[in-house]
Amino acid sequence: MRSEAANTPLDHTLIAIADPTRRAILRRLCAGEARVTDIAAAFPLSLNAVSKHIKLLERARLVERDIRGRDHVLRFRGAPLDEAQAWIERQQAFWRTRLQAIDDLLDEEDRAVPAIKKAKRPRKRTKP
Amino acid sequence: MSDIIEAKVTHRSRHAAARLFDAWLDPAHVRVWMAIPFETGMKLDMRRVEIDPRVGGRFTFSDQREGGEAVHWGEYRIIDRPRTLAFTWWTSAEEEQLNKSLVTLTFEPDGDGTLVTLTHQMDARWADYVPRVMQSWGGMLAHVAQMLGAAP
Repeated sequence: MRSEAANTPLDHTLIAIADPTRRAILRRLCAGEARVTDIAAAFPLSLNAVSKHIKLLERARLVERDIRGRDHVLRFRGAPLDEAQAWIERQQAFWRTRLQAIDDLLDEEDRAVPAIKKAKRPRKRTKP
Repeated sequence: MSDIIEAKVTHRSRHAAARLFDAWLDPAHVRVWMAIPFETGMKLDMRRVEIDPRVGGRFTFSDQREGGEAVHWGEYRIIDRPRTLAFTWWTSAEEEQLNKSLVTLTFEPDGDGTLVTLTHQMDARWADYVPRVMQSWGGMLAHVAQMLGAAP
């Protein structure tokens, strides 16, 4: 794959879980390991089409393949999904900190210029 | 919206939208708030804070870390003072090439303050692969996390 170098593991994860068939395969594998042929039988798709889906899941390391004699047994691995979740949580923490920092900075400016703050202070609310 | 991975944060501020908005485009302000530590306890040692505040203009924020200079940069996409600000947000040349990281800020009046909503989306690069309807990926994550939690 020529574009491989540009794809990060997170890209692989996102691409893998972007497709409903692949998500369905993952759900099936969450319940327990299964042979490729079992998975193929469970979907109204050709073995070839199912194999392509499985390959993308393997590339994302969401699925591991174990070859036992003639059987190819697939197993679910959750770590890459944690990575996607981790990206979201990390970005949230990053931006939340920034938004709070801006507030703190503006607070500080207001304290430094009390006259302006006074002028800006909202009027007391009268209760209805 | 459904084919995008996004991190969303809402924040209620008592400050006016215009002041909050301007804090994103004024280098002196950025230098202060970008330096606030996010993971480590240490204030960041800010180096470059360059801002070209127009649509299509670029910004660069960098700080010095143990491993070298960490650089964030991007390009402004929407500058609609004081309601909406959108910019790409890159931390590597690969990301810039893939053009998939977009931060959108909206500032809505809320009582005597402002409700700030920040959405950081990743998309585009893999949008080609993604069917239009991509339901429940958040649900999928929760589901999987649950299963993993239950596993021995």
